Amino acid sequence: MEILKALSIGALFGIGLYQLLRRNIIRSAIGLAITSNAVNLFLLSVGAYDGVVEAYAKAIGQRSDALPQALILTAIVISLGGFAFVLSLLYVISARYRTGDNDEVKGLSH
Amino acid sequence: MLACLAGAFASAAFTLVPGIKHVSSRVMGWLLAIAPVAAFVAITAQLSTVADGQALTWQIPWLPAFGIAFAFYLDGLSALFGLIVTGIGALVLIYSGYYLTPAHDDADAKSATRNADARFFLYLLLFMTSMLGLVLAGDVITLFVFWEGTSVTSFLLIAYKTKDEEARSGAFKALFVTGGGGIALLAGLLFASAISGSTDLTSILRNGEVLRNHAWYPVMLGLIAFGAFTKSAQAPFHFWLPKAMTAPTPASAYLHSATMVKAGIYLMARLHPALGNTEMWFWLLIVTGGATMLIGALIGLRQSDLKGVLAYSTISQLGVLMMLIGKEAPSAFKALAIGVLAHALYKGALFMIVGIVDHSTGTRDLRRLGNLWRIMPWTFAVCGLAALSMAGLPPLFGFLAKETLLAAEMEAVLPQLTRIVLPAITVLTGALMLAQAATLTLDTFVTRPGTGWPASHLDDGHAEVGHASHAHEAPAGMLLGPAVLAALSLIISTAQPAAIVALLAGAATAAYGAKVKVSLALFHGINLPLILSSTAIALGVVLFTVRRPIRSIPGVPALNMNRLYDGVLRSLDRAADIVTRTQGGRIRIYLAVILSTLFMLVILFGNLGRIFSGPALPNFGMRLLDEPLNTASALRAFGLLLAVAASFVSVIIRRDLLAIIALGSSGLAIAVVIALEPSPDVALVQAVVEVLTLVVLVLALSRLPRAQRERAETLNAGERGTTARNALLATAGGLLVTVLCLYAFASRPRTSIVTPFYEENAKPLTGAADIVGAIVVDFRGFDTLIEITVFSMAGIGVFSLLRLAMKRRETASLPTEGEVELNAADHRPLPLLPSLTGIDGVRTSPFIRALAYVALPLTFMLAIVQMIYGHDQPGDGFTAGVTLSLGVGFWYVVFGYERTKQRLSLLRPGPLIGVGILLALVGSVAPLFLGGGFFSPFDFGAALNLPLPKGFYLSTSFVFEVAICLAVLGAATFIIDTLGHPERDLE
Repeated sequence: MEILKALSIGALFGIGLYQLLRRNIIRSAIGLAITSNAVNLFLLSVGAYDGVVEAYAKAIGQRSDALPQALILTAIVISLGGFAFVLSLLYVISARYRTGDNDEVKGLSH
Repeated sequence: MLACLAGAFASAAFTLVPGIKHVSSRVMGWLLAIAPVAAFVAITAQLSTVADGQALTWQIPWLPAFGIAFAFYLDGLSALFGLIVTGIGALVLIYSGYYLTPAHDDADAKSATRNADARFFLYLLLFMTSMLGLVLAGDVITLFVFWEGTSVTSFLLIAYKTKDEEARSGAFKALFVTGGGGIALLAGLLFASAISGSTDLTSILRNGEVLRNHAWYPVMLGLIAFGAFTKSAQAPFHFWLPKAMTAPTPASAYLHSATMVKAGIYLMARLHPALGNTEMWFWLLIVTGGATMLIGALIGLRQSDLKGVLAYSTISQLGVLMMLIGKEAPSAFKALAIGVLAHALYKGALFMIVGIVDHSTGTRDLRRLGNLWRIMPWTFAVCGLAALSMAGLPPLFGFLAKETLLAAEMEAVLPQLTRIVLPAITVLTGALMLAQAATLTLDTFVTRPGTGWPASHLDDGHAEVGHASHAHEAPAGMLLGPAVLAALSLIISTAQPAAIVALLAGAATAAYGAKVKVSLALFHGINLPLILSSTAIALGVVLFTVRRPIRSIPGVPALNMNRLYDGVLRSLDRAADIVTRTQGGRIRIYLAVILSTLFMLVILFGNLGRIFSGPALPNFGMRLLDEPLNTASALRAFGLLLAVAASFVSVIIRRDLLAIIALGSSGLAIAVVIALEPSPDVALVQAVVEVLTLVVLVLALSRLPRAQRERAETLNAGERGTTARNALLATAGGLLVTVLCLYAFASRPRTSIVTPFYEENAKPLTGAADIVGAIVVDFRGFDTLIEITVFSMAGIGVFSLLRLAMKRRETASLPTEGEVELNAADHRPLPLLPSLTGIDGVRTSPFIRALAYVALPLTFMLAIVQMIYGHDQPGDGFTAGVTLSLGVGFWYVVFGYERTKQRLSLLRPGPLIGVGILLALVGSVAPLFLGGGFFSPFDFGAALNLPLPKGFYLSTSFVFEVAICLAVLGAATFIIDTLGHPERDLE
């Protein structure tokens, strides 16, 4: 399972990168979302305990590691905020350059 | 010492004074002069202490961790320079007031220049402070800071006439050269401090032996000398000084002759006891100084600009001083001290005279000036006195300087060669100096215009009298400065005041590092120096009389440093151009380059071999096989595959909307994986966040022009090479992350220190059964507080980025009358009718509308339940907030922007965020007053004995959850509201 997980995270990350590198500005945004998903999944998976029950005080058995869960809870929230901000940046950029094409955004030549 | 410093730095405080509006420049000059006079007096008061070789120090810690202090040091050498800086500073300030006042009374011009004058005074005072700090610095870092301060203020003063192209380029040149030297100096000083173990000046001076014997000594000395040479305009770096003459003349008199250019001299003299007395020191300084002396004197004679003559003779004199420091003899340091003072006195005076002539006649061109002595007799007299000193004629101070110089050059300790070469070039230089001094005085004041110039130099009507017709004598106040300095040149050498003798002796002693006796006797009997001196005088007279033929000799096209400088700058520009051309501005290329570099670094230095061959991986394979194949693991595998597949679909699918939906499915699949972890809290958050992401993306998508997106997509498909490159990069990135994951999974610790603590204490300490929830709202509550603040900031950021940008554009184009009426109509309240159209005017079905009506209250209930029971079951304030915002978002879609705004008028994002964060703060601070600590849990319900349903605790955690919910709802509403605004286009 861990190998499968590692491969999946790698694949997600690779797909995210590929999307980021595309010309279409909205695909780049999608790429960003995919990469942050991959990273969150990675963080969740490096907890010390492979639990079989959820991390509740009453649960009996090996609990899943609560610490990385709490941490990525924060991470997910922050990435949502960041993502929304990036989107509005993209919108402003596309309006200023009148394009949805990454390659048309070349501020240096102005 | 403290009192002295206080006096000295009073000048810094006085920099504010030029702001006063109602005082004329003349009065201002007199007022401002109080500061340097105070400093002058303060330093004088300490003279008796420092005269016998003692040094006063004072310091405050600056960067104690690095052993750097803001330290000051006053000994004989500092005192001499300090007195020159403050004394001449005071005279220059007074003089400036007159110089800045237009020669011909014109009220309008006066008020127009008033602000400019204040600027000039400000720069001058800033310079004065820097220069004073430089000569009083007791720590090399302090010294460096002030050193750079003088460079910057010098730049500002040279470029004072900012509209003048030549002034700007001259200023840049000066800054380029002295600034470059400054960097070298810093490096050299850091070497010295590293070797001696401290940046403290006294410690560096004490460790001279260690410094000189260190392997890095040549480098250190080279760097420091480079700094000093550039600053003091030594050949071949002298070329900036003549170009610096675009500065207003008071600044030239002060900075570029009397003080700043002597900073290099001061530095070398200051460090001589530590770094001097080596072969390298000797040859470096002798050769540079000697060459500078001769070059300056030779070029000076050919100048037609009065200030040009003075600039080159200053260069020559700086060469003399630098050369003297090179010699390891007491007499050289005696000559140094005398030379510094003598030069400051006569050159300062001459510069001010030139300023007077310029001010009065409107020109500084020697070829057009002449015959002024009738009109300006007093100026002529003062000029003559100062010029006699410059020429080195008895009984003036300049004569004494030249005598001691010649005596020092014939010291027996020097190598045979230099004992012949140096006096020879000194005699030649002395003769040239005399010729120039005579030119300055006689050609300006006595002879007819054009005398002494070959006819070829006099074209374009240069032979005219110029503006001499309306020339007039300078006001007494303006003559005060040069007169005082010139008179001092006479008084010091004839009266030989004991105080001055002691001052010079103190300075020479400090620079030499051992006792130096100074006497100012003019006549030592007929000896070799006197004979040489007389030779120089005779030769000078000859040179002056034949100045016309000399000037007609075509100049030697020697290595022109200016041309070299221009070449360097040009090639710099060209190099920058080439580098800039690599910056195409295509972000994708940047990203590709960054990623490739990263992969390259990983491959080169990542130690991949260790990862693959290490013990972790084999174990890993074993564990993989051990894992039982049950429903949970099968589901997990399914979830992972689904996530990857959906992401992959988002790559290959053509329509953007479908790609976004694919992204959403991928995220939800990940939520399933997370739920199977099992971690229901995170899964819940992931799910709602994914949906919200989807909503936000779709809203953004509707705002990006579709045609262009499709065009980009088509172009993207067309670029096969780029696609291949990106695929390669993505594969490499994926592989790298896979390896990283494998390694991390295999080598992660199997026990945790922190987690068991949380597991044991969640229920007893926080009353929450949900450990993750307990960590989020309690154990790490502060994190969460910051987190919601960040999230709120993101919401506000989106809002301000889009909405405010739009508003600015709206106000930028002023509405016409018709538009104003239209706008007024917009603000009329809309009738509260059931809307049939949703976002973008799309018609919505009654079923969807009914669903929306039901959904919003449902989300409210869901949110409240999650907040109440979140500490025992999955869910928390954040999920509640996002759930609510999803309900609101649904309304936006179904009912359209305007209607939603109208119906949910209570939903105001700004106040929501404010109340949320405030509530969180209150909730976390409240326990402080209830006997707990910051963020400690407190159950209000239990404390007040409220009859609450089972499982509902009215505790600080609950308050916190509500706060999070409100803030998140506010921020998310901001985002949805802004991106859902019907304003189609920013343009």
